[in-house]
Amino acid sequence: MREQTQQEKLMSIGISMLALGIFPLIWFLSQAILFRELTDAISRNLLVVVALIIGSSFIFLLFLGMDKIIKLAPKDNRDALEARMFVGPSLFMIALFLFYPALRTFYISFKDRYSNDFVGLDNYKWAFTDPEMIVTIRNQIVWLFFVVTFVLLIGLVVGWLSDRLNKGEAFFKSIVFLPMAISAVGASAIFKFIYEYRPPPLTQIGIINGIRVSVDRGSTLPGIKPGEKCMNNRIIDGQLKDFKNDDCLNPIGWLQQRDLSNLPFAENLNPDNFFSSILVNLPVNTMLLMLIMIWMFTGFAAVVFSAGIKSIPQEIMEAGQIDGASEMRVFRSIVIPYIKSTIIVVGTYMVVTVLKAFDIIYVSTRGDLETNLLAVKMLDEFSKYRNFGRSATVAVLIFVCVLPIIIGTAIREKENTQS
Amino acid sequence: MTRNTQKWYDKPISKLILVTIAITWMFPIFGFMLSSFRPGESIKRESWWDAIYTGKIWTELTLDNYSEIFFADNLDRSFYNSFAVTIPSTIIPITIAAFAAYAFAFMEFRGKEVLFLFVVGSMIIPLQMSLIPLVQLFKSGIEVFGIPIIPELDLNGTFVATWFAHTGFGLPLATFLLRDFMMGLPKSVIESAKIDGASNMTTFFKLVLPLSVAGIAAFGTFQFLWVYNDFLVANVFLGVYNPENLVVTSHVSQLAVGAYGEAWHLRTSGAIISMIVPLIVFFSLQRFFIRGLIGGAVKG
Repeated sequence: MREQTQQEKLMSIGISMLALGIFPLIWFLSQAILFRELTDAISRNLLVVVALIIGSSFIFLLFLGMDKIIKLAPKDNRDALEARMFVGPSLFMIALFLFYPALRTFYISFKDRYSNDFVGLDNYKWAFTDPEMIVTIRNQIVWLFFVVTFVLLIGLVVGWLSDRLNKGEAFFKSIVFLPMAISAVGASAIFKFIYEYRPPPLTQIGIINGIRVSVDRGSTLPGIKPGEKCMNNRIIDGQLKDFKNDDCLNPIGWLQQRDLSNLPFAENLNPDNFFSSILVNLPVNTMLLMLIMIWMFTGFAAVVFSAGIKSIPQEIMEAGQIDGASEMRVFRSIVIPYIKSTIIVVGTYMVVTVLKAFDIIYVSTRGDLETNLLAVKMLDEFSKYRNFGRSATVAVLIFVCVLPIIIGTAIREKENTQS
Repeated sequence: MTRNTQKWYDKPISKLILVTIAITWMFPIFGFMLSSFRPGESIKRESWWDAIYTGKIWTELTLDNYSEIFFADNLDRSFYNSFAVTIPSTIIPITIAAFAAYAFAFMEFRGKEVLFLFVVGSMIIPLQMSLIPLVQLFKSGIEVFGIPIIPELDLNGTFVATWFAHTGFGLPLATFLLRDFMMGLPKSVIESAKIDGASNMTTFFKLVLPLSVAGIAAFGTFQFLWVYNDFLVANVFLGVYNPENLVVTSHVSQLAVGAYGEAWHLRTSGAIISMIVPLIVFFSLQRFFIRGLIGGAVKG
C-alpha cells in the first residue's frame, strides 16, 4: 500500500515536471530547430506557407500530447495534474521568454559592454552624466508631459462634444480613432511628408514649407498682397514663379531644428529675457515629433472617455441642467469627477506608451539632433554601439519609470474591486 | 431616449470644434494619400495643393506607384512575411493562454493564487527589459553551470524567433484577459458539465471555448494589430538589412528613412498599402479591438 503511494507520488511529480518544463521545452526546441532547418532548405514562398501552417497548428500538438500522457496517470489525482498541464505552458513561456530575460537584463546592466566583467554602477553613472543621455532623459520628460497632457485634453474634448451630438457621433470618433489602427511607422511617414524640406530652388512639397515660401517677408506691410511675388515654383502664363528672391522666406528643415535660433523671429528676441531664452531653447524637432504621437493616440482617449461619459446617469446630468449650470460647469463639476478613474487609466496607458515610444523617432530622425528617447537609445546602444551593459541600463531605467505607475494602477484596481 | 431632448447640448460651437478637429485629423492622410496616386516626377515638380489649385491633378492620377511598389519593389514579399509573423504570433499566445485561463478560472490546484500573481505581475515588464537576453537566448541558448539547457539555436533572422518573442510579450495580458472573461461565464453550466462526467478537455473545447469567443476576439484583434504594426521586434529579430526578411512595417521604414532618396511616390503608396490590412481589421472588429485596448491599458 505504502509503496503504491510512493509510486504515485513519483508519478505525479514526474508528470508535473513534464507539464511545466520538459514538454513545453521539447515543443519549443522541436519547432525552433525544425524551422531553422527549413529556412535554409526550402524556397521562400513555400517557407511562408509552411510557417503559417506549422506556426498556427503546432501548438495544439503540445496540448494533445500532454492529454495523452495525463491518461496514464492514476485516476484520483489526475485532476491536479491536468490543472498543471493546462497552466504549464503559459508559465513556462512567460518564465523563459519574459521573466528570465528581464532578470538577466538587470544582471548585465552591472557588467561591461561584452558582459564579461562587473563594473559596479558605472553604467548607471554614465546614464546620468553622459551629455547625450541627459538630452535623452530631458526629451523623455518633455514627451511625457506634453503628449499625455494633449492626448487627455483633446480626447476629453472630442469625447464630450461628440457625445452631445444627435447624429454623427460614431463618424467623428472613428475619424479621430483611425490613426490608432495605423502603424507608428506609417504615421511617421505621413508626418515626414508634411515636414519635408527640400533645398531651394526646388519645389517645396511639404505643406509647412510650401506655405512658408509662398509668403513674402514684407507681407504684413500694407499694400503688398501675400503671395504676390513669392510662389512655390508655379508656372503662370508660361513663366516660372518661384521663391528665390530676398523678399521671400526660405524653407526650413523642421526636423533638423533643435531650437528656435535658426528661425527668423528669434532675431527679435532679447537673449537676456528669461522667457525669451526659454522660447529660443524650445526643441522644435521634438515638438513636431510629439505631434505624431498625439495624432495617433487622441482617438483612443476620446473613445474611452466617451464610453465613460455615457455611463454617467442621466439624472445627474439633468439635475445640473435644471440647476442652470453652464456647460463648462457641468463638464467641470459632473463629467470630470465622474470619469476621473477613466482619465487615470488612459493617462497611465499613455505614460507607459510614451516611455516605450520607439518607431516614431527611429523612422523620423534616428535619434539624431537631440531628439532621442530612451527606447531608441536602448536599441542604439545594443545594435549600433554594441554596448550591452549600457543598453541594459537604459532598459532598466524604462522599467523603473513604468513600475510605480503600474503598481499604482494595481492598488487602485484592488481598492475598486473591494469597495 | 433623453438624448434627443438635450437641445441645450447641441450648440453650433461644439459642432464647429468637432469638425475642425476632424478635418485637422484627416488632413495629414489626405495629402499623403493623394500623392500616392501621382507620378513621382509630378510630386517633386508641383506640390499637391498647387496641383489641385491648377486642376492638373485630375489628369495625372495613376495606379502605377502601387504596381511599382508591390511588384518591382517586392512589397508583396514583405506582406507574406508579415502574415507569417503575425498569424502564428496571434494564435500561439491565444491557445496557450486559453488553456491557462481555463485552469485559473475553473480548476483547483496548489499554488493557484501565487502562480496567477506571477502571470499578472509579469505584465509590468516592458518589452525593452527582455530584449537583449532574448536575442542572446535565441542565438546561443542557455547554459546553467556549463550544462546547456537550451542548445545553440541561431534563431535570429527566422520567423520562429518573432513568434516566441511575441508569445512571451503577449501571454501575460492574454492569460489575464481570458481568465477575466471566463470568470464571467455562468459557473453552473461548467459545473453541471463536470457532474455529467465530461473531462476538462471536453468541457474546454466544447463549452468554454465557444462561450469565450468574444474575449478571444478582443485579445486576438489587439494582438494581431499590435504584431502587424510592430516594428521594434521585427527590427531586432528579423533585421532590416536582409530584404528577404522585411515585414511590411520594416519595409515602409526602409522607404521612409531615406534609403530610397526622394522616392515619395513609393513612400506614399507603400505606407498607404501597409495601412489597408489594419484598417480592415479595425473597422470590422472595432468593438473587440477597443475592448482589448482597454484591457491592455495596464500592460507594461
